[in-house]
Amino acid sequence: MDFLLSEDERRFQESVSEFAKRHIEPRWIEIDEKGRIPLELIKRMGDQGLFAIPVPDKYGGMGGTVLMAALAIEEIAYHDPAVAVAVYALLNNGWPLALSLFGSEAAKQEILPKVASGDAFFGIGSTEPQGGSDVAGARTVARRSGNKWVVNGEKTYISGVREIQELPAGGGFFLVSKAESAEYGHRNMVDFALLPKWNGKMRDGWKPTVYDDIGRHGLSTGGFKLEDFEVEDDLRIGDVGRGFYLLMEGFNIARVLVAAATIGSARWALDRGAEWLRSRKLFQGRPLASFEGISFRFAELYAELEAAKYFVYRAAWMIDKTYLENPPRFKPKDLNVPVSLAKMKGPETATRIYEEVLKWLGAYGYTKESAVYRGWLGTFSYTIGAEGTQNIMRYIIARDVIGSEYVSHTG
Amino acid sequence: MKILVAVKPTFDIGQLKFEKDGTPMLDACPVSLGEADRCALEEAMRIKERLGATVAAATVGSSEAHYKAIRDSYAMGADEGYLVKADDPWKLDALSVASAIARVAAATGPYDLVLTGSGAGDTHASVIGPMIAGILGIPLIAGVDRLEVRGPGVVAGTCKLEDGSYTYEAKTPAVVTVTSEANAPRIPNLRAILRSKGMPIREMSAGELGIDLRRLEPLSVRKYEIKRKRIIYKAEDQKGAAEASAKLLAALRSEGVLS
Repeated sequence: MDFLLSEDERRFQESVSEFAKRHIEPRWIEIDEKGRIPLELIKRMGDQGLFAIPVPDKYGGMGGTVLMAALAIEEIAYHDPAVAVAVYALLNNGWPLALSLFGSEAAKQEILPKVASGDAFFGIGSTEPQGGSDVAGARTVARRSGNKWVVNGEKTYISGVREIQELPAGGGFFLVSKAESAEYGHRNMVDFALLPKWNGKMRDGWKPTVYDDIGRHGLSTGGFKLEDFEVEDDLRIGDVGRGFYLLMEGFNIARVLVAAATIGSARWALDRGAEWLRSRKLFQGRPLASFEGISFRFAELYAELEAAKYFVYRAAWMIDKTYLENPPRFKPKDLNVPVSLAKMKGPETATRIYEEVLKWLGAYGYTKESAVYRGWLGTFSYTIGAEGTQNIMRYIIARDVIGSEYVSHTG
Repeated sequence: MKILVAVKPTFDIGQLKFEKDGTPMLDACPVSLGEADRCALEEAMRIKERLGATVAAATVGSSEAHYKAIRDSYAMGADEGYLVKADDPWKLDALSVASAIARVAAATGPYDLVLTGSGAGDTHASVIGPMIAGILGIPLIAGVDRLEVRGPGVVAGTCKLEDGSYTYEAKTPAVVTVTSEANAPRIPNLRAILRSKGMPIREMSAGELGIDLRRLEPLSVRKYEIKRKRIIYKAEDQKGAAEASAKLLAALRSEGVLS
């Protein structure tokens, strides 16, 4: 067993850290204030190879691994603790990988190089107005019509709705839909690469709205209606009937990267906390760190962050051994518990750290000037949802560890 | 055009911690390719992209950080890498390092340009470039913020000094030392990092180069500290403020801070 990163991984981590320090850190507050990531920064990140990291070279990716993607996302979040840039990057790593694993050759060749270069966005379209966790209850329906599919329905709380309209090539989503009828169930679902704007042209039948989030302002959240939106069969991802299952595999990849973003942001917060505990002096010159009520709490949070980090690294490593190694060392279902541990632990640890650091900073922590609240609000988003809620993570862990015959959410 | 860039791994002194007695904890300090050396590599890459060139990187030392410095140079775009083997490289004296680089230049050249950082971020000796030029008997432009190739056989370097900017021309072959202000060196992407791993590093021994590497044994190394005097001139009102200001000025004059 070796707990050290390889030299390639460390060098890549250093390179991303330097990039993020140079190009993201000086702007993260402005990005959060103005509510957008400059397109020029997105392009620069594409040029630097920060999207499609685990996607093979032949599709314009970097030919790296999910662990490398996780390291990159963690570093980006450290320098953008409000996590908009990190989440933009993680979506454009996780879902392009899912497309490269499950999509048609034509879809991969068409979409992935443009996502890798930063000219297009590729995220996830799953949640619907009636719910997100109950994917089998999706009401969006795709009906086959010759060599095309006609999709009708509505998706909500989707990241990137504004960005795909603004990016030069556009982009879209890994969309999950019912096939032919909206009947409840797991086995009648199908996935598509849905591209509302592609090669600079908006497609008919896509009606977007953008929401006003309380944090992580740099990346848009919105919704869209699909009204007779036509999708070529080439853009179908996997077989009809496999939509639910492939989406779950995609979620496993993206969940690890979500957790990576939250631990990067949390590390930033804890570093700010440590600086404060060293420098803030009171009661005749004693540093705050000399009070064990605070320094012991620091130690506990540090331990939680380290644990969350290793959950993330192990799950990312297992994903690599499942999808990027031949023959695979694990089956996709082996990933459920390790991934859920990472996704459960990362965001919750992050918000706990933020709450504590805010308190250490005293009244200053409650001011907008301290900027710590931006990370708090940004990471809090991921205790609610994004690629699965925290209770769904608990459900998966309980189901797979105790046994599905004892833990059931249906019936 | 053929360019040799002398590089070395440098301690990140911003992260250097000290024992209670002031001894630096070098083992725990991150080491990476020096900032000014990276700027020198960046200048070489820009010349390569503009005019076409072969760029070689060379370092002196056998530590893992020295091998990594060459791999990092490859990731930035260097075509060839040379490593002069030397144990205990942190103790090598500057003349030995400069001699080794000069011998590498002679053995693998001829080079039109030898570039290096104007000074390392840890030792700040700033002597390697001038020594290489001295040993090779070729011109030197030191401390360059802007480097231009002005035509066949002519380079120009602009140096910012206290009273203005000076531009010097030199006939090639020449040595140019580049400051860390010269450019923002490129950050290699993952593809370049992965490619660099497989590129061969040509190792050379001091014996093969016909030089003797000498080492300095530091007698003591201590943390450089400025003890603050913590003198406070208190003032309660405007008159007091005027008196306190006068005392402050007098004290600064007596310390030689103001003349």
